Amino acid sequence: MTGHPDPPALSVRGLSHAYAGRPVLRDVTLDVGAGEVVAVVGPSGAGKTTLFRCLTRLVRPDSGVLEVRGRDLVPLEGAALREARRELGLVFQSYNLVRRLTALENVLVGRLAEVPAWRVVLRRFPAQEQLVAATCLDQVGLLGFAHTRADRLSGGQQQRVAIARALASRAGVVLADEPVASLDPASARSVLTALRSLAVDHGKAVVCSLHQVDLVPGFADRVLGLRDGRVVLDVPAARFDAGAARALYSPVPERTPA
Amino acid sequence: MTEVQQRAAAAVVVPPRPARSLPSRLRRASLAVLAVVGFVGCLRLADVDPIELAQGLPTMAGWVGDAFPPDTTALGTLLLRAAETVAIAVVGTVLAAVLALPLCVLAARSTTPNGWVRLPVRLFLNGLRGVDAFVFALLFVAAVGLGPFAGVLGIALHTWGSMGKLFSESIEALPAGPLEAAELTGAGRLKTSSFTLLPDVLPSISGIGLYLLEFNIRASTVLGVVGAGGIGQELKNSVDLLAFDRLATILVVILIMVTAVDQLSGRLRKALA
Repeated sequence: MTGHPDPPALSVRGLSHAYAGRPVLRDVTLDVGAGEVVAVVGPSGAGKTTLFRCLTRLVRPDSGVLEVRGRDLVPLEGAALREARRELGLVFQSYNLVRRLTALENVLVGRLAEVPAWRVVLRRFPAQEQLVAATCLDQVGLLGFAHTRADRLSGGQQQRVAIARALASRAGVVLADEPVASLDPASARSVLTALRSLAVDHGKAVVCSLHQVDLVPGFADRVLGLRDGRVVLDVPAARFDAGAARALYSPVPERTPA
Repeated sequence: MTEVQQRAAAAVVVPPRPARSLPSRLRRASLAVLAVVGFVGCLRLADVDPIELAQGLPTMAGWVGDAFPPDTTALGTLLLRAAETVAIAVVGTVLAAVLALPLCVLAARSTTPNGWVRLPVRLFLNGLRGVDAFVFALLFVAAVGLGPFAGVLGIALHTWGSMGKLFSESIEALPAGPLEAAELTGAGRLKTSSFTLLPDVLPSISGIGLYLLEFNIRASTVLGVVGAGGIGQELKNSVDLLAFDRLATILVVILIMVTAVDQLSGRLRKALA
């Protein structure tokens, strides 16, 4: 797959950020089209987490452009930022579900903005919204657990509920920061399959950082390699082979603290 | 011992304490002297006099003698007053909970990052907490007249402050992730906090509510002393009239009431955990 006829859903240009004068991200550029899955890989300390904190605008990057559906998020603040962020769906390493709500109710969290406040307070969601949430749960294969409390689900199941929550929101771009870092291989696979279907079946743009490169084949369309805050690799997943992975992760001399 | 064992043994040996320098010894010594002098000062201010206590003991022993057999002729009235005490605590605590729920969200850092809102709310809650229910009741007796309603208002105001503070602390103890995820959908504060915080915080705030209810029942037993209703009124009358046989009955009623409520509430709290 080369080139996108449509403008990219997420477009990052020249993103740079430094913590206390130490550059963590240097001139990162990345386009993700609707329906595309990009895996972000790289050794620890390469800047993956900072990149995600900038993409979600939890951190304001020092410079660069971060366009979501053509709108730059970098200069936004307050209400305008909140509104623009609704285009972003987030999947976290720690799932971030409300433990004592059911799976279905956790998916409904993705619909909160569309439901009147009194219905939220009384937990009386319109039938139509419940149907949307149930459909999303079905997509990740968990409809049978709709009325199970989140803290009774396994880690992999909780993460799939979180993916259903992102699906239920109106977000066009889904950002997943190490979503399978604390899962066993089989659960990790099922989570990544659910994440990939957001792109393939629902046309969302998916950016996902991964710790294990062996999970890339069959999941991502493209691989973005970060090293020392720089993009050192941006290739179709098919071209990301063992040699490329070795080069990306080859040891660098440890820097001693100054 | 193998070499590994020797190295491990060497690693767990506690290193000798470094000798303290002279200035640090002097500072420690002067702190100790200051603490002793301060406590002696407190003894003087508090008029502590063991001799007076010793002289008073025979009188008190006489009262204990007078207390037997306890006078149970007015038991019906006493039980009614005890029920009034429980009612004051229950209504005051519930009223406080209703008032504290919205404010605790404004007093917690995770839900209200804006200090211009949070700090005044905290100051307000701390102010309420700083004034005892007894003092509030004293004021309300003057404002709304003698009787249990003044007690209810006193309990409610003081508990409002305590509850608001404790509730907001249990909100702050929650992981921030689920709230962040909900806020990202662009939904407002009322929706995100009621839907994502309330379920997870409910067990701990119900526990706090029950704990404060227990506390308030004990606090309500003395409200009658300032005329704010309940069994405290009977307590004061009996002491004023030196009717120690009746006082004995009152103390037993209070003891049974407080123990029963503590047991019940303790069981409920265990069931919630």
